[in-house]
Amino acid sequence: MRSHIREFDSSTLNESVQNTIMRDLKAVGKKFMHVLYPRKSNTLLRDWDLWGPLILCVTLALMLQRSSIDSEKDGGPQFAEVFVIVWFGAVTITLNSKLLGGNISFFQSLCVLGYCILPLTVAMLVCRLVLLAEPGPINFMVRLFVVIVMFAWSIVASTAFLADSQPPNRKALAIYPVFLFYFVISWMILTFTPQ
Amino acid sequence: MDSNDDTEDVSLFDAEEETTNRPKKSKIRHPVASFFHLFFRVSAIVVYLLCELFSSSFIACMVTIILLLSCDFWAVKNVTGRLMVGLRWWNHIDEDGKSHWVFESRKASAQESKTVSEAESRIFWLGLIACPVLWVIFAFSALFSFRVKWLAVVIMGVVLQGANLYGYIRCKVGSRKNLTNMATSYLGKQFLKQNTGDEQTS
Repeated sequence: MRSHIREFDSSTLNESVQNTIMRDLKAVGKKFMHVLYPRKSNTLLRDWDLWGPLILCVTLALMLQRSSIDSEKDGGPQFAEVFVIVWFGAVTITLNSKLLGGNISFFQSLCVLGYCILPLTVAMLVCRLVLLAEPGPINFMVRLFVVIVMFAWSIVASTAFLADSQPPNRKALAIYPVFLFYFVISWMILTFTPQ
Repeated sequence: MDSNDDTEDVSLFDAEEETTNRPKKSKIRHPVASFFHLFFRVSAIVVYLLCELFSSSFIACMVTIILLLSCDFWAVKNVTGRLMVGLRWWNHIDEDGKSHWVFESRKASAQESKTVSEAESRIFWLGLIACPVLWVIFAFSALFSFRVKWLAVVIMGVVLQGANLYGYIRCKVGSRKNLTNMATSYLGKQFLKQNTGDEQTS
């Protein structure tokens, strides 16, 4: 095992910059695919990275901005709010699962939770497009339906990756904070109004 | 007899210096990497300090700083570290699911092309150490002057740049055992020097 790691080391220590960029981009893209088609696989867990969650968090925070009239209060607190909710929530869930005796490392858990925000980001995009049409009950029903579907998708994707790391009698205790986390984000998306 | 030893020591030292001076050039071998190593860090700090002057939009500044900090983290961790000083660190998860942090340094080889140049090493460590210190100062100033909305960005700066600093220091020093060995041997040498110095004067 040791020598295998050494060989891997020297090959990446001398590779070109372009190789490094392509390797990291491919890894991020592969994880996005795994979230869209959740299967029980180890890829999200083994090679974790936090670039995907950062991109998704920034995109979500940007889309959740209200266009306000005075430029001083231009949505500053809301942007930081989304950031704090996502990262602080993910850290809390990770600590909870570690305290319950899960054998998953801190960054792996952050990686899975962050990547599984992808369906909700897509829901946000759809909601913003739907809000361009005229407001009314149909508008709301469409948005509600989309958000519920994407919320269920997020939950399914994250449990597919996280559930195995918990002892069997603690699975529900470890999963319900994930449910709350995505529920809060879905609520922010559903109750968003542009003005 | 003492003077003979001294001259012998001097000539040996000269001969060694000639052979060791050749690989350690003070030229910058990777100018692009050196430029980007400093560019992202310094521009993140500059944008943070001058954001009120540049644009009235808090969000644009925040997103710009976040992008610069992320690019800097990636560049320093994956590119400039191994090009400029031959060090690299990452996390590896084995089949049991346990995570290991791997710190690697390039072995000093006989190939001239792969040795470290003094100037690059100085630029690297200067940039690596000075910027996290500045972000910590910004964190305290944001906390005490109640500009709390900037605190998220500043904390991100401290965490990302502090992580790179910690990783590279551990690469440089080896493992923790090596650190304590180094410290004890250094203290031992100082102690010995003091004692022999006292003996000679008395």
